Amino acid sequence: MKKNTLRKFLLYMANIIISLIIAFPFIWLIITSLKTYDQIYSFPILYWPKEVTFEHYAHIMKLSFPRYFFNSAFIGFGTALFTILIAIMPAYASARYNFKGKKQIMLSILFSQMFPQIVFVIPFFIILKQLNLQNSYLGIMISYLPFTTPIAVWMMRSFFLQLPDELEEAAMIDGCNRFESFYKIYVPLAVPGIASVGIYAFLFSWSELMFSMSYLSAKSMQTVPVFLSLFIGQYQTRWGPLFAGSIVAAIPPMIVFALLQRYFIQGLTSGAVKN
Amino acid sequence: MITKSKNNSYIYWFILPYLVFLLTLVVYPILENLIISFQNKNGVFVNYAEVLHDRIFLKVVFNSLLWTFSSVILQFFIGLGIALLLNQPIKGKAIFRTIMLVLPWATPDVVAGVAWKWMYNDMYGVFNDILVKIGLINNYLPWLGFPNLARAGVIIANVWKGFPLSAMFYLAALQTVPQSLYEAANIDGANAWQKFRHVTIPIIRPVIFTTIMLTTIWSINYFPLIYTMTGGGPANATDTFVTFAYKNAFKFLNFNRAAAIANISFVVVLIITIFYILFMFRGMKESEK
Repeated sequence: MKKNTLRKFLLYMANIIISLIIAFPFIWLIITSLKTYDQIYSFPILYWPKEVTFEHYAHIMKLSFPRYFFNSAFIGFGTALFTILIAIMPAYASARYNFKGKKQIMLSILFSQMFPQIVFVIPFFIILKQLNLQNSYLGIMISYLPFTTPIAVWMMRSFFLQLPDELEEAAMIDGCNRFESFYKIYVPLAVPGIASVGIYAFLFSWSELMFSMSYLSAKSMQTVPVFLSLFIGQYQTRWGPLFAGSIVAAIPPMIVFALLQRYFIQGLTSGAVKN
Repeated sequence: MITKSKNNSYIYWFILPYLVFLLTLVVYPILENLIISFQNKNGVFVNYAEVLHDRIFLKVVFNSLLWTFSSVILQFFIGLGIALLLNQPIKGKAIFRTIMLVLPWATPDVVAGVAWKWMYNDMYGVFNDILVKIGLINNYLPWLGFPNLARAGVIIANVWKGFPLSAMFYLAALQTVPQSLYEAANIDGANAWQKFRHVTIPIIRPVIFTTIMLTTIWSINYFPLIYTMTGGGPANATDTFVTFAYKNAFKFLNFNRAAAIANISFVVVLIITIFYILFMFRGMKESEK
């Protein structure tokens, strides 16, 4: 009993201390964003602001931050949707069936993961121009798919792999065909996997910088990362709007994850057919 | 309507959309980039020759390898350690999991870059202040101003940003280990280390392989953190393949050379990945036995 209590105590201490260390950079960003310029540039460092100010937040509102924010959100959801639609069927097929060319498909996933974005940055610039999709939502979403889709197949495949084959047999005895047993039985059970893939694609798009700053030249189409990058100069950085914009930029991913987090925890096959 | 015959053409309907995607949005751009990289009026291989003879490029290769392997090793140990910690049954573990994994991972790359760039500030940075207070250094250091400090600085920031994804994969894998195996090990009198070594590790091994391989590829190709923190400086000390190629494309406006650098970096990644795959297939065969 005593040993158990000590163990609990140490476990809590470890969790609390490590949490604090990991959270510190972000907490520090929040604190700094609430300081006046005098306090940001104070020596010695002021760990707690003497007075809280929202002047940096007010400032970014004047710089039409909401527009950048909307652009990022829209592109993020679109990218997630396209990614799931393209990736879910090959993920399922490669997890459940053996077929000619399966190994090649799995290798193609690894293969496309290896290419840096920089390999695509010039070709997509040309492709989007030819399709007249520069400065469009659809264009930037398309340019993200090579980076979100293959990994989505890989991730969802591993979720499908954990579901037993017997489910399909049972479904087919009940009169489902292959496609029906896929979307009626397996897709609902794979919701945790689909959610994680969607989150992944959204977060990729939300924080993507290289393509968005290269393709979205029209201010009305630019995303939050581009907005932030504009304040980081080579010689001088304008910290105030950068801090406020950073905090607001971090909120949607935090919310998305907090809402869908339970899908990660949930025992993936719990409740499914037991052997 | 698909019948229950032996005909398995339905499988190809499952993968057809993906194949179309692969050809148009992956294969075609890659080929296009390859063509661009060979375009030079002085000869087909001139772009590549120029890059390989560039002294700065040697530095870039070194930086890229240092950045990648340090990041991957640290992310593996920290990721697995945190996953094991978070897998312990305690009250309120959802809160700890949210703080440890969600915060850094969900933080957008540019935001992470801003946070660390500010912490590393040579005059007003909190990193220096804390290190001086706990007595590790005597004077404030310009963390992003000196080559080796800048290298360490961006790697630390990358580990902070990247370990949660590893930890999430390991945590998910740990939760697939059947409790009954641990119970059986308990009956056999196994201690914590033996259970970890002989029950946990064999089951999560495939996930470890995959995760390490993916973090390697991602680190090598990771762009925005370095770009926002140092822009590859000082004096190319933190330039990796990607930031260097990007500079060549959009600062020096030499698309052909940038394409060549990107392709060289791909070959490096390819070689590393082939090693992993060979390793993984061997592991898979062993576990099938």
